[in-house]
Amino acid sequence: MNKLLPLLALGLLAGCTTVLETGDRIERGLNPPSAVNYATTKPEGGFSTQLNDNRVGNKVELLAARKSKTEGGYTRVQFDLRNGSHLRQNLNVSFEWLAADGTVTESQPNWIATPLEPGALTTITATALKSQSAECRLRLISR
Amino acid sequence: MNKLSLLACAVLIVGCGTPATYKDPSGRELVVSLDKVNIQDFATAGSQMLQSMISSPSFAKGAPVLQLGSITNDTADNFDTALLLSKLTVPLVNAGRVTLLDNDATANAARAAAGSSANVPRAEYVLKGKILEDRANAGSTRQGSFIFQLTLVEVKRGVAVWTEEKIVTKQGTKNAVGF
Repeated sequence: MNKLLPLLALGLLAGCTTVLETGDRIERGLNPPSAVNYATTKPEGGFSTQLNDNRVGNKVELLAARKSKTEGGYTRVQFDLRNGSHLRQNLNVSFEWLAADGTVTESQPNWIATPLEPGALTTITATALKSQSAECRLRLISR
Repeated sequence: MNKLSLLACAVLIVGCGTPATYKDPSGRELVVSLDKVNIQDFATAGSQMLQSMISSPSFAKGAPVLQLGSITNDTADNFDTALLLSKLTVPLVNAGRVTLLDNDATANAARAAAGSSANVPRAEYVLKGKILEDRANAGSTRQGSFIFQLTLVEVKRGVAVWTEEKIVTKQGTKNAVGF
């Protein structure tokens, strides 16, 4: 009995730290979580990018960013993305809107899962709610 | 020794588990459940529907007067449908894109008492909808789909002027944390 109890304690200890959490830590240690990447439209047309995670940059191309106005005068932006790799990519996107002076006017903070099949073109459309929103900053993360 | 061992066992059992921590409700470390609608599912469906709705001609100009109709929860999960509606109404009202009619009994009574000639806003549009679910299994893999349907009805003509459906599908063998 005396020998059994410490064994039981050991068993409990082993079962204590969840396998999922340990696995998650190991995975994160070896393969750190993706950083957020940005693509922002410019007042003069086109867009600029801020690439913080090459794992996305090497696989997904941002082909174009088109800016237009709705009937009511609100800014609408379309971003064209292409998965240039041979594997399916699971991107998550969200966006923020900026006024002409660069201040953030509105945002969609939650991530929208956007699966991209190899070679597939995907268009992400964002329409501003406020009239002062002039430029759109697309946020991309792979996982 | 026996008592000591028992105490050690008790300490170990009490020490088990992960302590609760605060998480960003729009972040990537949230619990993903296969059998229920998670908070991020409402945010995903709501923000996509919002983008679709503001692109409709009814929202092209001005701030139309909107009244909230019923949203039927036709899933096995018990939740308040305001979780979905708030994802649309909060940004729209705060941006001045709609005039939202208060829907409670007091507001309705006040409108009735004011009469038709008074300068009280009348609903131009009613937003209504339904949330459904679909489940499927393949071996130990479970799949849960939640279907969010919304319709905007123009009161004057009684016709639907915008309708949208968004499906959130989750697949796996067990609930998990993260994307």
